[in-house]
Amino acid sequence: MTKGFLMFAHNNDEIDYLKLAVVNAYLIKDNCDVHDITVVTNQASYDYTTNALGKDYVNNAISNIIITEKDKEFKVANQRMYKDTNHTAKPLSFYNKDRADAYELSPYDETIIVDADYLILSDALNNCWGHNNEFMMNWSYEDIMYEREDPTLRKLHPTGITMYWATVVYFKKGNFAEQFFKTVKHVRDNRQYYQSVYKWPGNLYRNDYSFSIAAHMLGGFKDRAIPQLPLPTLYKTFDTDDIHSAPARNEIIFYLEKPKSLGDFMICRWKGVDIHVMNKWAINRISNELMEYTSGN
Amino acid sequence: MYMSSKLTKALEFANYRTTLNVQHNNLKAKVQTLLNYSINGGTFEISQTLISFVQTLIDQQHTKAVLLDVYNNPIEIDGLADFLEEIISRYFEATNEYHAEYTKLRKSRKVHKLIDLDIDD
Repeated sequence: MTKGFLMFAHNNDEIDYLKLAVVNAYLIKDNCDVHDITVVTNQASYDYTTNALGKDYVNNAISNIIITEKDKEFKVANQRMYKDTNHTAKPLSFYNKDRADAYELSPYDETIIVDADYLILSDALNNCWGHNNEFMMNWSYEDIMYEREDPTLRKLHPTGITMYWATVVYFKKGNFAEQFFKTVKHVRDNRQYYQSVYKWPGNLYRNDYSFSIAAHMLGGFKDRAIPQLPLPTLYKTFDTDDIHSAPARNEIIFYLEKPKSLGDFMICRWKGVDIHVMNKWAINRISNELMEYTSGN
Repeated sequence: MYMSSKLTKALEFANYRTTLNVQHNNLKAKVQTLLNYSINGGTFEISQTLISFVQTLIDQQHTKAVLLDVYNNPIEIDGLADFLEEIISRYFEATNEYHAEYTKLRKSRKVHKLIDLDIDD
């Protein structure tokens, strides 16, 4: 059985997602000892990032790069507000259409899809390999600044189904996973209908929504029917947070925005637990520090 | 270490108790992660209960058994003695690290000490 990680990295006007994927690939290699890493990107992103980092550096991190064509209409239409703390917000293209194609794109029998900004600071995801559950993803998450609660991240609608996070997904190739991704594509391609049924807010296409709906449908229309990953939970920070530094291997010092005093921060040292960092600029600012402690140095 | 104005401000605003709780939560997250153990297609949370149960099975001369994992799936463990050795080893590794870090946290009386930042008092 072959196994590997899969990331999607399409740069936009400001965020170098492929650079994030390169940093994360080195973290995966060092912490999980898995060297089969595939990144799906596009030619423009590849050219930009290899020019900045060097081709060898990128190719040493990523064993398999798949270049796809962007759907230009989708790229223009799917804009979201990116924040670099509450002090800076910019509407930018959020190209996430091809995650639904992961089943066909992954060259592995067992695949863990991770967001490029889900930083792998431990070997916890190695608990997935060889698992009896053919498909796993999480609905459970925790903000590391425990006082902040956002109910829109728990359900698609206040009276609706539980939201699963497509941030980390484990699947084993087989009938179930194939059907799952077909359903995700079906939801993606018929958004208006599914939005009218599941009533998620806004016009942004999010994989979290389409994966949650597929989980609901293929779970026999039962909530939380798909098993979660063998992790205690997914940990995250918000895009209103910032990063001070990466002072040691698998350690990041965060500025966490105070819930009752927006724009003010407290500070936290996060060690040895994988974390979803929503402020992409912040990761890029400390990416060189992060790399200092990896084999990419 | 150079202390930026942003850092100074953050430290000024930081509440010792909140920082302590956040740091403690990080420790708990790390320990819980270390106490998850996958084998034979199942996942177990290593706990005192699991350790005692496996020891009981061994005391009753069982060498293999079907255990329910965290998903309530039946997982056959062939070689209970080796399994016990593995989970005890992992349990000690996680809890010893937890103890060392927790002791350090409890002794830290300032925000920058809680996060192990090397700046002047």
